[in-house]
Amino acid sequence: MNLRTRGALDRVFTVLAGLSVVLLTLVLIGVLGPMVYRGSGAVLFGGTVEFRKMQRDLFKRGGSEALDAEIAQTEEARREVYSLIDTFRKGIDIEAISDAARRINRDFGEELRFKGVATERYTELRQRSRDIRDQLEAAFASQDINEIRTDLESVLQSADDPAFKGTGAEGYFKLAKDFLNAAEQVDLSKHHEYKASLQEVEGILFGSTERPGLLGPRPGGPLPPLAMLHYGATRWDQARQLLHQFKYRQFWVEAEPNAPLVRREEPRAALFAGTSLEPLFGYIQANAEKMLHPRFTVYWQYFLDDNVDSHYFGGVGPEIIGTLLITVLGMAFVVPLGVIAAAYLVECTADNWVMRIIRMSINTLAGVPSIVFGLFGLAFFILFLFPRLGFEPKPCILGASMTLAVLTLPVMIRASEEAIRMVPQSFKEGSLALGASKFRTFVTVTFPAALPGILTGMILSLSRIAGETAPILFTGAVWIGPMAKSVFEPTRTLSRGSYGIAVEDRLAMMVPHNQYGMVVTLILLILVLNAMAIVLRSRVFKKLKGQ
Amino acid sequence: MDRDVTVALEPAAEASPRPLALTPGEDLLGFVGAYLGRALLLVVTCTSVLVVFLILVFVVLRSVPFLGGYDLTKFLASQDWRPTADDPSFGALTLIVGSIYVSVAALVFAVPVGILAAVFLSEIVSWKVRNVVKPVVEILAAIPSVAYGFFAILVLAPWLQEHFGFTTGTNALNAALILAVMALPTIISVGEDSISALGRELREASYSLGATRLETVVKVVIPAAHSGLIAAVVLGMMRAIGETMVVWMASGNATQIPHPWWDLSQSIRTMTATIAGEMGEAPDIGGVSHRSALFAVGVILLLMTVVLNVISEYFLSRAKKAAGKT
Repeated sequence: MNLRTRGALDRVFTVLAGLSVVLLTLVLIGVLGPMVYRGSGAVLFGGTVEFRKMQRDLFKRGGSEALDAEIAQTEEARREVYSLIDTFRKGIDIEAISDAARRINRDFGEELRFKGVATERYTELRQRSRDIRDQLEAAFASQDINEIRTDLESVLQSADDPAFKGTGAEGYFKLAKDFLNAAEQVDLSKHHEYKASLQEVEGILFGSTERPGLLGPRPGGPLPPLAMLHYGATRWDQARQLLHQFKYRQFWVEAEPNAPLVRREEPRAALFAGTSLEPLFGYIQANAEKMLHPRFTVYWQYFLDDNVDSHYFGGVGPEIIGTLLITVLGMAFVVPLGVIAAAYLVECTADNWVMRIIRMSINTLAGVPSIVFGLFGLAFFILFLFPRLGFEPKPCILGASMTLAVLTLPVMIRASEEAIRMVPQSFKEGSLALGASKFRTFVTVTFPAALPGILTGMILSLSRIAGETAPILFTGAVWIGPMAKSVFEPTRTLSRGSYGIAVEDRLAMMVPHNQYGMVVTLILLILVLNAMAIVLRSRVFKKLKGQ
Repeated sequence: MDRDVTVALEPAAEASPRPLALTPGEDLLGFVGAYLGRALLLVVTCTSVLVVFLILVFVVLRSVPFLGGYDLTKFLASQDWRPTADDPSFGALTLIVGSIYVSVAALVFAVPVGILAAVFLSEIVSWKVRNVVKPVVEILAAIPSVAYGFFAILVLAPWLQEHFGFTTGTNALNAALILAVMALPTIISVGEDSISALGRELREASYSLGATRLETVVKVVIPAAHSGLIAAVVLGMMRAIGETMVVWMASGNATQIPHPWWDLSQSIRTMTATIAGEMGEAPDIGGVSHRSALFAVGVILLLMTVVLNVISEYFLSRAKKAAGKT
């Protein structure tokens, strides 16, 4: 090989090696970036008036006159929407207006009887009322505009009849006029289509039984059972999505045979062109902000609140508390064990078979898969130990924290060992030369000097405990459930929640910000702990080096 | 003279009321105390031994009803895992193959990158750059596995499905990619340690003969550090094979062995995911039951990691010896 090829190969190698590190950095950014970006949406977002209503109702927060005034303003802007839809419905919802006609006929009959009209007159009026009703129904059912006109005009001729003036029968004429107006504007042959589309539009605006709409249920109507359906779009990003859905109808078409379906969109307004509903589309696009009042919101209570309707609303408060409980309890078990073991391993450095077995055990323990720790926790702590101690053998915080303590024991031992080893020999020698015993030297000299390093190890174990999921799946973490009242009850944790919210929760799929919020909370907690450990370690390193 | 010394000593004696010499009683107490304390510390230190012992005993004990009552060859060689059928069948071959398959696939991605990065950190860049890159590796290692799983299922899976035309994004490739990322920190840090443990003389000798950096790395450094690098790969494999949440969420959990064998776009299922997914629904009844079968799967998993652990220990101790020599 000549010199130039060798040089070139060498350079290629250097670049390749550099690229591997660049790749690592890109992976880190690629993994954390999208999650942190979307997760931050759980705390920082444009909160609409619906969000503030929800906070007031569900979390007893921020209810005030200002909010009432805001609600009144938005309702004012929404009124136009309601009236446009109601008007359009009158021409479209044949069953509803036919029902109305029948009801007027019935009420009119009762009114006449109540007034004590003479029998003959009564029969005559009843007959006329029935005729009007039949004509109306015929007009409603018809799809021919000329037929409708003749029918309705003959109905409207009776409008000036004094016999009907000031009675319930006036309702007929109002119905007839409304329907005539509506019928003039719509293509009657499409009225089934209109009806289906109107239902879709109302679903998007007011919510359906499955998902909330843009504006929330109409005031005065019956409230659906789930709290999440009581409110409209609480977030501006959600609202924008719904606005898009409102503007464009989506459907799937087969572009070519045997190929996956392709999504297409078409403007919804085209469907209602020329009808009384058409202005609604322009109105909603133009006045969405007036109807929702989006405002930049920092929802820091996300870290305190419990969730509502399986993470649709609310935050991750109980999950954080559960994680902290398990972590703190686990640390209480592992720190004394780990520090003592590390001290023994460093100070009593006899290289005999006992030490070799101990070291091998620690290494083995570090390599045991986390799910096997879960099996062990279930088999030993929960099913074997708890009944013998008089506890109920069921998954609980205590079982989870003990399992995690065992899991993180090697981390704790290794970190403390390293910290104790880093204490300069001269410290110990000075103490021993003053006549202190080995034990005294350790307690008064070595341990304080190693303490920051041990603290680093503690923080690392802490972050390991907080993030592990597999070992606590069957030893104490649950996905849904009340807050734990004692350590003998299972708890929700961030790690278990992150799994659940990604895989098991159908409602949470609708609110990705809450899905990502949960996992980002966990990641942040762990990264903060690790950053603390890294900073602490470098400071200790410098200090011990400096002396 | 005599008088002077007494005078000189007296203030000191006053300052410290305790006599400097120990009484025989105190001496004995210190002696016994030191030994007792040492024994106590030893007992505490042996917790890890006890725990390893208990893990072995309890996981094995729970699987004994199954291992005793079920055909072992069928358990290890059959591909038929139908634990909840009326006529249940516990063939774990698919699960064992799935675990190994996805771990090996992960290593195929992770080993080249990991070793290159380890070489880069220890051979090429300055201490300062190294201190910047190290935290990246540490953060990659610190991200909890459930977060990786979350990423796999909600970010990576749709992306794979969209850009590669897979029928499902939760497949062996997805799991292998994420496992590779998780194994990388282990491979890099163990690999880097073993490379930096080599003495300067080796490299200097190579450079002085006119070798380029590539030649030094490939022909001198890597052969000299091979034990440590093998240990790094084995430890990475351990990390991948024992990982639960990621494979549970990303692998698709289909009980099948990929066919053809190189087709990473198929869903698979591993031992860890099976235990995690099914233990909650497996009732605690004696005999050959779903639960004891899952514990038996746990025993296989445990055995595999213990074997890998022994291998890695062997290579690590060889690496230590090799580093000691140079």
